[in-house]
Order: sequence, then C-alpha cells, then structure tokens
Amino acid sequence: MKKILSIYIASCCALTGVAQDRGNLLIKNGTVLTVTQGTLTETDVLVKDGKIAQIAKNISAPQGTKIIDAKGLFVMPGIIDPHSHIAIDGINEMTSPVTAEVAEGDVINPLQMSIYRALAGGVTAVHAMHGSANAIGGQCETLKLRYGTFDNDAMKMEGAPRTIKFALGENPTRVHGGGSQIVPRTRMGVEFVIRKSFSDAQKYMNDWDAYNKNKLTKGFHGQPPVYNLRMETLAEILKGNIIIHCHSYRADEIFMLMKVCKDFGIKRLVFQHANEGFKVAPEIASFGAMASVFSDWWAYKFEVYYSTAYNAAILTRNGVITSVNSDDAEMMRHLYHEAGKTQKYGGLSDEEALSLITINPAKQLGIDSRTGSLEKGKDADIAIFKNHPLSIYGVPQYTIVDGIVRFDREHDPADMRLLVDPKQNLDDIIPSEKGIDRCMDGTEFLFGLSSEMNTAEKETQLDKK
Amino acid sequence: MKSLQLFSGLFTALLCALVFHIEAQSPKAKYGSFALTNATIETVTKGTIKNGTVIISNGKITSVGENVSVPQGVETIDCKGLFIYPGMIDGGTHIGMSEIGSDPRTQDFNEIGELVPQMKALTAVNPNAVAIPITRISGVTTALASPAGGLFPGTAALINLHGYTPDQMFAGFEGVVMNFPHEGRRGFFDRRADDEIKKATETALKKLDEVWERAVQYYQVDSATKGKSAGYYPEMQALLPAVSGNSSLLIEANSAKDIRAALKWIKDKKIKKPVLTGVAEGWRVADEIAKAKIPVVTGGVLELPAHDYDRYDQAYTNAGLLFKAGVKVAIRSNETGNQNYRNLPYHAGFAAAYGMGREEALKAITITPAEIFGVADKLGSIEVGKNATLFICTGDPFETKTQIKQVFIDGWQIPMVSRQTQLYDEFLKREPGVSKK
Amino acid sequence: MIRFFYRRKPLRMAMLFFFLPGIIFAQTEKSVAPVGRTYAISNATIIQAPGRKIEKGTVIVKDGLITAVSAGATIPPDAVVIKGDSLFVYAGFIDGLSHTGVTKPKEEKDKEKPKDPGNPPADRVGLTPQNDVRDFLNPNDKSVEELRNLGFTVSQVVPYGNFLPGRAAIVLLGGNSPDDMVLVSDAALYSELRGTMGLYPNTVMAVMAKWRELYRNASLSKSYQSLYASNKSASARPANDRVLEAFYPVIDQKLPVLFKSEQVMETQRIFTLKNDLNFQLIIANVKEGWPILNKIKSSGAKTFLSLDLPDEVKKENTKTDQSKKETKTAFDLEREALEKRQKESIGLYTSQAKEFNKAGIVFGFSALSAKTKDISANLRRIIAAGLTEDETLAALTTNPAKLLGLDDRLGTIDNGKIANLVLTDKPYFNEKAKVKYVFVDGTLYETETKAEKKPDAKVVGQGTWNYSAETPDGTVTGKIIIKEEKGSYSGTISNSMNNKTTELKNVSIDKNKLTFSFVYDDNGSSLNVDASLTIDKNSIEGTMTPGGTESFPVKGTRDPKSK
Repeated sequence: MKKILSIYIASCCALTGVAQDRGNLLIKNGTVLTVTQGTLTETDVLVKDGKIAQIAKNISAPQGTKIIDAKGLFVMPGIIDPHSHIAIDGINEMTSPVTAEVAEGDVINPLQMSIYRALAGGVTAVHAMHGSANAIGGQCETLKLRYGTFDNDAMKMEGAPRTIKFALGENPTRVHGGGSQIVPRTRMGVEFVIRKSFSDAQKYMNDWDAYNKNKLTKGFHGQPPVYNLRMETLAEILKGNIIIHCHSYRADEIFMLMKVCKDFGIKRLVFQHANEGFKVAPEIASFGAMASVFSDWWAYKFEVYYSTAYNAAILTRNGVITSVNSDDAEMMRHLYHEAGKTQKYGGLSDEEALSLITINPAKQLGIDSRTGSLEKGKDADIAIFKNHPLSIYGVPQYTIVDGIVRFDREHDPADMRLLVDPKQNLDDIIPSEKGIDRCMDGTEFLFGLSSEMNTAEKETQLDKK
Repeated sequence: MKSLQLFSGLFTALLCALVFHIEAQSPKAKYGSFALTNATIETVTKGTIKNGTVIISNGKITSVGENVSVPQGVETIDCKGLFIYPGMIDGGTHIGMSEIGSDPRTQDFNEIGELVPQMKALTAVNPNAVAIPITRISGVTTALASPAGGLFPGTAALINLHGYTPDQMFAGFEGVVMNFPHEGRRGFFDRRADDEIKKATETALKKLDEVWERAVQYYQVDSATKGKSAGYYPEMQALLPAVSGNSSLLIEANSAKDIRAALKWIKDKKIKKPVLTGVAEGWRVADEIAKAKIPVVTGGVLELPAHDYDRYDQAYTNAGLLFKAGVKVAIRSNETGNQNYRNLPYHAGFAAAYGMGREEALKAITITPAEIFGVADKLGSIEVGKNATLFICTGDPFETKTQIKQVFIDGWQIPMVSRQTQLYDEFLKREPGVSKK
Repeated sequence: MIRFFYRRKPLRMAMLFFFLPGIIFAQTEKSVAPVGRTYAISNATIIQAPGRKIEKGTVIVKDGLITAVSAGATIPPDAVVIKGDSLFVYAGFIDGLSHTGVTKPKEEKDKEKPKDPGNPPADRVGLTPQNDVRDFLNPNDKSVEELRNLGFTVSQVVPYGNFLPGRAAIVLLGGNSPDDMVLVSDAALYSELRGTMGLYPNTVMAVMAKWRELYRNASLSKSYQSLYASNKSASARPANDRVLEAFYPVIDQKLPVLFKSEQVMETQRIFTLKNDLNFQLIIANVKEGWPILNKIKSSGAKTFLSLDLPDEVKKENTKTDQSKKETKTAFDLEREALEKRQKESIGLYTSQAKEFNKAGIVFGFSALSAKTKDISANLRRIIAAGLTEDETLAALTTNPAKLLGLDDRLGTIDNGKIANLVLTDKPYFNEKAKVKYVFVDGTLYETETKAEKKPDAKVVGQGTWNYSAETPDGTVTGKIIIKEEKGSYSGTISNSMNNKTTELKNVSIDKNKLTFSFVYDDNGSSLNVDASLTIDKNSIEGTMTPGGTESFPVKGTRDPKSK
C-alpha cells in the first residue's frame, strides 16, 4: 500500500502537476477534527473529485481510490492564513497613499519555496496581501497552495471574493508623510485620505451613471468621463463587492475606520493585526467587523508596544470573529502552534483555538462555504497531523489541497525547487521571506539603510520592514 | 440622620479600604522560605520525582525529594497535580537592551565600531524593561543579554530576570561576543560579485587575525607585568578573559562555510574556551563540530532553512542532528525583534518534536546552557544547593496548554503579573462596554 | 597619408580589383561612393533556405536585391566578383528584439524627485509610447557592426527604457543614416513590465494596472474622436493626447504590442494583459518559456526566444576532485547533487528552442540581452541540445521573416529578395566557421575575423584617451594621457569636475589591462582613486574606485588625433 501511495504522491507532486487537478482519496480511521461539527474518532473522510464526499465510520473505498491510513493521526481542515505575502512578486506600490487599482492577483508567483514550506505546516490557502505602506493599498488575492504548477492563474482560489488592503497608523504616515512629504503624516491625515477617496469614488460613480444614462438619449454627443481604475475599484468597495482588510494596530484607529465605513455604508470589514483590537472589542463586535491577529507579536514598533498575547482570547470572548495570521513565511508554517498559544493566553477551547486558523479566517475571506471545516460538500483541503495539532508535538504528515496530496512528510525530498536558478551561488543565503511586519516590503529604500549601520543591523532593520 | 452619617462614615472607610486594597495589589516579589509540596519534580539532572517536595530557603534549594519534611515557619504551596521545573535559560537575547524595535533610541545592543568588546551588556540592561516580567512569568528565568553588531560587538552577560540593579540580576557569566566574518551574500540587497565577496572575507579574516594577535600580545604583557601593563587599551582589556580562557568566547557563525572557517580559526589560534552560537547550518558539519568538542548555543529553532534547496524542516531538526552527532547543544530563542523570549520553550519544543526528543530538548534550555556558561553549580536543574530558580506549572512547559503558575528566581517568589496580563484583566470584560452606562 | 587597416564599412569598391579574404587595402575619403551595386558571388555553396542547397552556385546581387541564384547564373559584366570557391552563403539573419543601433540615453542621476511620486511626469516613468525608435537610431553605433559581424542583417529594434518606451522599427544593420536603416517603421508598440523605482508605477502590478487604464482610456478617447469627427459642432473638441493616441493602431489591431518577456511569470503576466485587452502580441527574448509551452502556443503570440543562455558550469578542478574521491562526506555528496541539478537546469534553458520546435511553435531568436561574443557559441549549444541545424537556421531566417510579415522580402536567398547575405568559410554552425562577408541591403561588409588578429598583438595603451565616467555626482569627462618610456608607463588625467590635471601613479599595462591610480582633489580634500580599464584597440572600458567606496563605470575612446 505504502509503495502505491508513494508513487501516487510522486505523481501528484510531480513538477508538471496540472493545477486544476482534483483528487480522489479515502482517509481512514483518523481522529477527525471537523471544527464545526465536533471531533469524530476512528472516522473516515472520503474525497471525490476534490470535494469532501462523506465523513463517516467504515466507508468502503470505491475501487481505485487511493487510501491514506490515518490511524492514530489527526485530520483537520487545511489551515488558512488570512495575512500572508508569499507567492507574489511585489508587495507595496508605495508611491501613492491610495493605490486601490493595483492587484496582487496580477503578480502571483507559484514558484516560491515558501509555498511548499507553508504546505509542510498544514496550510492549504493563504490571503496574499498587498503591503501596508498606503492608506488604501492594493487588492489582495486568495490563493490555494497548489504547489507544483508554473501556471500563475492556477493558484487563485476561483470564486473567492475580492479583497483589498487598507492600512492605518505608522506605516502610511511614515512612508507618505515622512518619506514623500505628502498627506498623510498623521492619523488625522489617514482618515482624511480614506474619506476623500470614498467621496471621490461616489462622484466618479455618479459621473459615469449620468454619462451612461445620457448616452441612451438620441443624438447624445457628450464626452465620457476619464476612466479611472482606482476609482472603479473604490466604487466596488462602496457597492459591497470588495472586503476591506485593514492593517491596524491602535484602538483609536480601529474605531475611526469603523466610523468611516459606517458613514459610507460599508459593512465588510476585517481588521488585520489589530494589536489593540482587544481595547475596542465590544465596538468591533457590534459593528460586525472581524479581526485577524498575531498570537503574541509585539514591541517591534511603538504602536504595538501596548499589546497583549491575550488579544485573540479577549476578542473571541467579546464575540468578534477572530483569526490568527502569520504575515511571515516562517510563522505561517506553524499557525497551529500560534493558535495553540491562545490556550495559554486566555484558555480558549480546542475548538475555539482551531477555529482561529480554519473556519474564522475562511469567514473573513468570504470562503467559509467552501473551506475552513471538514464538512460534506466542502473542498477537500485537509491537513493530517501526527499528535494533536494544538500540541507542540503535532507534526503535519500530509497536506491535501482539492483532494490532492501536496505534502507528504515521509516522501519529502529535500530539494523541492520547481525552477533552479542556473546562476545561483550555492553558498548564498537565500533571502527568506521571514521578517516582522513584512507589510513594509519594497519601501526600505525610502528610509535608506544608513551607512552607520553595520551589516547585522541592516539585516535587523530589513527584517523589521 | 445619624445613621446616615454613620453609613457615610462607613462608606468613606470602605472607600479608603478599597483604595488601600488597590495599592496593596501592586505586586511585589516575596523572599522567604517555601515548601512546594506534592509536585511532580522534573529535576532534569536526577530524573523525575513523583509526589515530591522542594524546600526553598535563603534563595537556595535546600531539599528535594519524596519524603521531605517541611520545617516549621515555612510557607507551604500545595502543588498537587502540578509540576516543578528548573528555570529556563535563553542563551541569546537582547533583553533589557531593546524596548521598541523600530525606535533606535530604545536600542542599546549595537554600539558603533567593529572592535568594541569593552561594551558591556550587563550595565546597559534596563531592569525595568517591560519585556522582563513578560518573559519570566513564562518560566524563562535567566537570559544572556547579548550585544550585536560588528566583529567584536561587546561582552554579553547572563542575567536573572528579576532585580532592580545589574548587581542583583547578574547570574554569574560574562563572555566576549564575536561575529565570525561571514563569507557570502547577506541578502537581496547584496549585489557584490563572487570574487568581491571572497576578497571581503579575506580582508575580514585578516583583520580578525590582527586583532587576535594583538590581544594575545596584550595578554602576554599583562601576565608578565601582573596587570600593570602600560597604557589604556580598553578593547584589549576586554578581550583578556577570552584570550586567557577565564571566560568563554562566544563565536557567532551560521553558514556551514563560516562554521568550518570558525572551527579552523579556533584550532589555529588555540582558543581556550570557545562556544559556537547561532550554528544554523550546523547539521551540515555536525561531525566536525563534534570532533572539535566545541559546545553550541543554537537557535532560534523556529526559523526558515538557510537555502531554498534545503529540506523545509532543517531549522527544526538542526539541534537534534547536532545532538545526535555528539555535540553539546543548548537552544536559544533569538526572538529579538519581538522580544518574545517567552517562546523559548516552544523553540525547544519544536526541536523536541523534530528529532531531538523531549528530554534532551529540555536539557538544552536548562542544564546545558548552565554548563556552557559555567553556572551549572547554581542553575539549570532542581538540586539541593542550587539557586531556587524554578517554576511551578500545570504540565509540560513545551505545551501551549500548560499554565505557568508560579516562578521563583533566586528564592524570590515572583508576582505572576506583566503588562500583558494586566491588559487582559482590564479588557476581558471592559467597563463600560459599548454603551457608557 | 596612407594607413593600413583591416576593416571599413562599407567597403570602398572603387579600390577593388581582386578580392580575397583578409585583403589589406587603402582608405579613401568616406564620401566616395561605390561604383556600382552589382555583385556576383560565384562558385559558392548556397543555402537558399533550410533544406535548400546549391553546390557551386552563383548569387547575383544588383541594386540591393538578389537577382539570380543558380548553379549557372551569368555574371553581369559590371559585377564585382567574389570568388566563393570555399564559401558558404546564407540568407542574412534576423533578430527579433534588441537595441542594436539605438543610442542609449544618458542617465541623469541628479534629476529632481517629483513632488508627488504618485503622479510623476510621464517621461520620468517610461510612459512615452509616442516615441519612435527611429529618432534614436545611429548606424555608427558599434552594436550594429558587432551583430552584423555574426551574420545578422535585420533587427527589430526598440528604444531603451521601461514600461512603454516607444515604437519599434525593423531595421537593416547597415546604411549611413537612420533612415537608410529603416525597413519597417512603426513595427510594434514596445513595452516592458518594469516600473520606475520610487515613482508610479513602481511595481509590476502597478505597471499592469496603468496599462489597463491607459488602454481603456485610449479606447474611450478613440471612440469619442470618431464621434466628434462625425459632427464637430455638436460636442466639445477632444483633447490631444499623444500617449493615448499611440494606442489607437493597437486597438485597431493594426499594430502589435511587442513585450520583453524573459521570465516565466513575466510571460504569463503579459498574457493576462493580452487576455484582458485583446491586442496582437509579440513576446520576445523569452528565456523561460518551456514550462508553459501550451500556454504560449494557445496564446497565438509571435515568439522570439532569447539567445542569452546561462553560462555553462565551469569545470571543476579535476585534481582536487580526485584527491577527494576517497573521503566524500555527506556534505560533498549533497553539493554534487545540487550542482547536478543546477547543471540540469542550465540544460533546460539550452534545450528550450528544441522544446518549442517539438511543440510546433514557430519561433525566431532575439539578441536583446545576449552578449555578442556568446551568440555563436550559444547557437551551437542550442543545436547540441537537440534543435537541428536546419531548424536553427530557420529560426534565424525564414521563421522571423514570417513572424515579422516580411517573408516576401527576407529570409531566403531567392530572386527578388532583399540582398541580405552571410558568407562564411565553413558551414555556419561549425565551431571554426568565420563570417567573411555580410551583405546588407545589397551593400557588402567585410567582417573582422578574430583569428587574423595576432594572438599576442601588442596592446597599445599609450596615447590620449577621451573618457567619460558615470560617477555618483554625474558624468565626468576628460583625457587620460599614457606615456611609455623603456617599458615603464606614466601619464596624466584631467577631469571636467574640477578642471584639473593630475599625475597618474602606479601605471601598468598587463596584456590589455590598464591600471593606475591618482589623487582627486576636491576643494582641498583629496581622494585616492584606483582605475582598472580594459583596452580593446581604440576603446577602453572599466571602472574607477574612489578610496573605499563604490566603483563607477568608465568608458573611453582613443583620441583620433593622438595616434
């Protein structure tokens, strides 16, 4: 059986793997952590055509179905990282405080090693985000980690709602006010930039509506308004077609954005990081916004100095749909462990803790009807662990995307590169995506790497992007 | 009316009492004699004692065992169902030397200059850094506060995470830090050509050799003149303990190439007490490190592999592979950017899960660093005569479910409070809530 | 005043009686025109097209056209005869994308940063689709001769720059004026998915967003212009916008968009744009196309593969290998495996052309980023990797002619085609083959053949060199004068920065390496500068490094008056 399995996996993970593949699979006798429907012991999960077809005891496999023996293992929904910057080339278009028109979906890079490494941490989907240099940044893309393909489009989670990055606080004020000497230099300025953008977009919509209406009248000779992709995108936010994911730290700025959104009738709002979200948890809950937080990161800049690792627990207890994210290619490999920390800091139950990295991020990305829990009919995005995933001894064994095994710890060759750089010096340390608040990628030249710094410090500074 | 007055007087008294009570809440550490009874004691060096007792007196562990009688006048803490572990030691931090990562005014670990071993971490540590209570209530009781930067960025100090002055905090070890010259590109911003890199490394090594040669000369003059050597050479003076072997030289090297070069340098220069730190790619040259019998402080464990062609879990397995090759390995967190030294047990936990095993990983953050830093007579295990630096917890400290119930440092009962717990207490059920009523 | 030299362009026919490879002949005044434009290449092996060969045939070239190709063609009496007894004749090669003959604009480093980086002037960010490469052509640019010497006679050339630098032209690699060179103007709208550091659009995603926005606005303004044209009194006069107007022929499907499309992701991003906007597409300098062969094929994009291949792995020192054999550690074994993968990877780049051919994709080649000196060797590597010589020849001649819509005039040696020919002494892909002559548009060029250079020809360093250096403070120019006395060198250097002349120190010439140092005096503070330059006949190139800081590039030519 094992041999067949390994051949099967080899063929799935083959470099030429066709990304649109959907797999068939039977996972036998695992402890199934459905997240939404309790824990089922000694239970099978049947996958047909990339979807979960059945969860029950003693399912007999249709002939030819590949089988994973999960006896003694834990089967959980694939982990979703709601804040990531992997699998994209270019994070910050930091030349303007508002860049709603740019889209990470245009610059997907399915070759990054981080993708495979994330799979090896049980992650099956990520929210590939624009950076936080701008008050209104670019559009983000929800990706499935179909590692093995060269096809950039094949990474996109088809049908996932559109999302966009906003950013408050130090990053936009530092880049634009500090760096380019244009508004915003303060939190006041950030609010103004966002309000003005929405107002401009309303006017833009009105202009086009008027033009399109007049165009129908006979003999109309008017000039069309200038097409503006930035305004087009902002208009879609106003229409409720794009979910805002806002980089934020301080309670006041979180509260500010909710007010702005309320004024413009915007309802779909997720706060990213929200280190001080706990201070306005009742307000976030009553607005119906959500929060995606670090488990315990703090102190890397002033606006996160007054953080607490109990953030996720306080938010959860106050009724905010909360997730834990990585914003980092290393941390995303152990989000299960990060979720586990909420048991130390606030005593969340297993189910609550697992929800932080599965069903809750799925809700925040608007993909919870398809992922985030093990339920019949959902996508077969599954992580299988040795030991409970919330235990420090939990080790991902298999990661399955659309029913296809994309990671198998037992059959994991060291070198998983899809494209080998023919010019690479093998001794070079490859710049990793690790770093705190990678949101600021692409802006370092603005701040300059001071010549006073020695290399170690430069590295530290770059890490702190 | 009178009754009302009486009532109001009572009310005032009550208020006063309340205010007083709030003041009294301001947590302070407590020194005394304690008996921790009915605990499962993980001594680290002498196995596990089920249902045992630890007696703490005068800052020391005075008794450990199953049948220990509790002396009179000792405060008893019933540890039924709980566990006792020695305090965890993080062998690589900037604790107390950095407050806010992005604010250079709060960064005190990186002095100007390539050759500044005289920069002393010990006196620069801020005993009141917010990170210190946050770290210690997670069971990390002791940490190496380490400078960073150039070739010889300074002298690191091992400190206990409790106290108000360096004298109170000093845990008995200071060591010169050295960043072994790195050969290779340092990241995407490094656009040097291959031969430029090679040349730069050669230059750096030459410089290192020159410095060391001078340091050895200074040592000889200093020994010959019994410390009355002429002139003020603070750098050389600072290097003396490393040259003489009175203390360890902490050599940071991470790539396989650099580690090999460092091993050769150590051999050539006959370094008396070398310690390799970082050692991220140690697994590639584990046998060579083992052969050289040089102890290692490695980490962080929760890192990415050095190269895109490396197996995904290489950073997790590194410590275990080094251990299996016969290297003495301690684990550090290296979580400098976030000051999350409290995650030390999780770094060890990952090493444990990825091949090192729980027992060895526990040693790697307790007794092994104590040995490497020469303080194993005081720290690193639960043994009679050692400092009462330990913690009580609900289970395996590597597990995130485990709660640390009580920490003792040098016999001080540490208040289990930090700014982060205070924020939790204040905001879990915020008053007022959404409406101000 | 007769000087001897090995090459001139074009050859002065008046002086030609009898013609042999490597002939030395005298220079005359440039203005003297050739007496006629009729040539006969007689008795040569003629490869008319891949798979069509005439042994001992004759090609007649007259007035820029091929007028006869056959075994027994009559040689007109006015023809200059090239005895092709040992020569092979091919149709001139066609390069699908390069900057050949295009003057590189000088980078102005001290440009003021725009106040609002989000809204910079269009020319600062490469938003100049209205530019025409013809305005930047220079037939005397040495890139023309360099590429021609390899047998290339036609290039699709584009302006330098990122984003939308301007329109391409298909040019002949010969001629005396920019207009002489141009075969087809407005051949394509050129674009690179590359932004401008610090200015909008900076990232690739912003470049793509801006591309879409421009295209849609161009569509709108184009429609409105026609609306306005239909009734000029009924609506406001449309604004002139040359940037948008440059897109009109693209929208009309009359002008293709030519993209530099090197990396596998870049190519796919270009396809994203094409699918969104639906323009005709040429992808050129493709380096990593093999992983997405099907995508490329189904895109219908015209394709030019890069002649720039990754260097082959240098052979390890076998001596140390042998001594290590006994004691290979896991470390060594792992290293070997990694090196093997890297070598295999290089193989993938090299065999890309073969894979495209196998997939049935018609492709040409482009020279954009290839070093001229590597191109012949790279073609041989491509052949060694499995593309046949005929297929390779097709990719250099007939395929690009077809892709560029010029197969009625280019690509083969047939009557009526433009007389673009390559004459070699051995079959072209033979390692030892040398290109002897190249005809471009009926004009004969003799190529320099390297072997004729005495291998130990003494490099002449002494003399006066006019140099220009791109320092961080801007371009500095001046003269370097090198003197030799009894084998030891000395000299001076002047510079436009402080207008001073300084003595050189430690001047040495080792083979073709000229090194020296000097002290640059900047208002009292002095700076030691080390220079390292490579002499190539009459040009020098290299770097200067001011004490301890970053080096900057230096280029120069021999002062014509100094020799």
